[in-house]
Amino acid sequence: MRALIAAGIGLAVALALVFTITAMGSPTGKTSPKPLLTTVPSHP
Amino acid sequence: MRRKASLILLALAVFFAALSPLLRWYAFPRLAKIPANQYQDMVLEAKDATLVDNSLQEKKVSKITIVQTLKGNVEASEKIEKALGRDVVVWDSLSYAQDPDGKMVAYIPERYIFDAHSQDPVHATGEMVDGDPVKREGIEFKWPFRTEKRDYEYFDAQTRTSNPIHYKGTQNFRGLEVYYFEQTIPWTQVKFPKKLPVAGITPEQIAKTGMTRWYTTVRKFWVEPVTGAPVYGEEIHKEELRGGTLLGDREKVTAFAGHVKMREDYIEHTVDLVKSNRLLVLLMTTYLPWGFLTLGVLLLALSLWLEARSRRPEDPVPADADAPEPVTA
Repeated sequence: MRALIAAGIGLAVALALVFTITAMGSPTGKTSPKPLLTTVPSHP
Repeated sequence: MRRKASLILLALAVFFAALSPLLRWYAFPRLAKIPANQYQDMVLEAKDATLVDNSLQEKKVSKITIVQTLKGNVEASEKIEKALGRDVVVWDSLSYAQDPDGKMVAYIPERYIFDAHSQDPVHATGEMVDGDPVKREGIEFKWPFRTEKRDYEYFDAQTRTSNPIHYKGTQNFRGLEVYYFEQTIPWTQVKFPKKLPVAGITPEQIAKTGMTRWYTTVRKFWVEPVTGAPVYGEEIHKEELRGGTLLGDREKVTAFAGHVKMREDYIEHTVDLVKSNRLLVLLMTTYLPWGFLTLGVLLLALSLWLEARSRRPEDPVPADADAPEPVTA
């Protein structure tokens, strides 16, 4: 019984961690202020 | 004490073993996406190219330089995301070409809208090539994460059509395993660009003379399959102006012919960028899932071993332990 509870806790923590990280996602940020280029850049 | 430790190890074993498939098949497809705010420029060159001048005469030039900029439009993508309920990327791009004197040769803006995870095209208001609304099928600029060894539909901005781009084998490009793709667009009549190099002349005025513009290309991409990012590209590109009164007794004139290749410093930059992104994708899809699974198995084994030791009966006391030592004379 104790082993089942321990395994359940491990599984629940893994699920919670993954669901939280994916729900948070990544920030979208802002549109770059740099223009669409009409000059040749000298380097990347 | 041993039993408590074995239970903690068991919980950790299940935690890591569960994390392995969750990371690979649940988190990765949701987290791996093209950022909406990406900004990227690329310089390509066609050395010893042929170009038409303002008097419609072919001339050889030392180099045509093409600057391609991709800019993620976050505000536009958020609008579409709200309407569709999925992660979308909107790329505003410009292909700008100039001759050795710095004079504009081509100016083609585009808006490319696609799914941030799968790179499948998304159809929404604003999708266009050179101001003309289009409905893309297939990919453009980038392949999906975990690119497969198969043909893909690739959108051609000049003809505004999608055609197969064929997988032609696996190669090594500067230390990276890449898939080589090739697409041939046969001679096709295409529209004149809205913005022409000659001031005061419009595409409508040229069309009235009966002149038409034709184009063919062989497009080559070397794609890093884990990220789906092209690390190198080439195009054998030809354009002709055919018919009409402006050409006199000539049937056609070459408007542009050149072998377009990425500039060396941009190749190095792209390879470095793709190598670091490749590592991130491999962490999510291979290194961490396999590492967590191995750790889970090891922790489970340790837990079982501790459990077995805690259940082992105490060492039996020898039956004759208390027996007196035999006395010898």
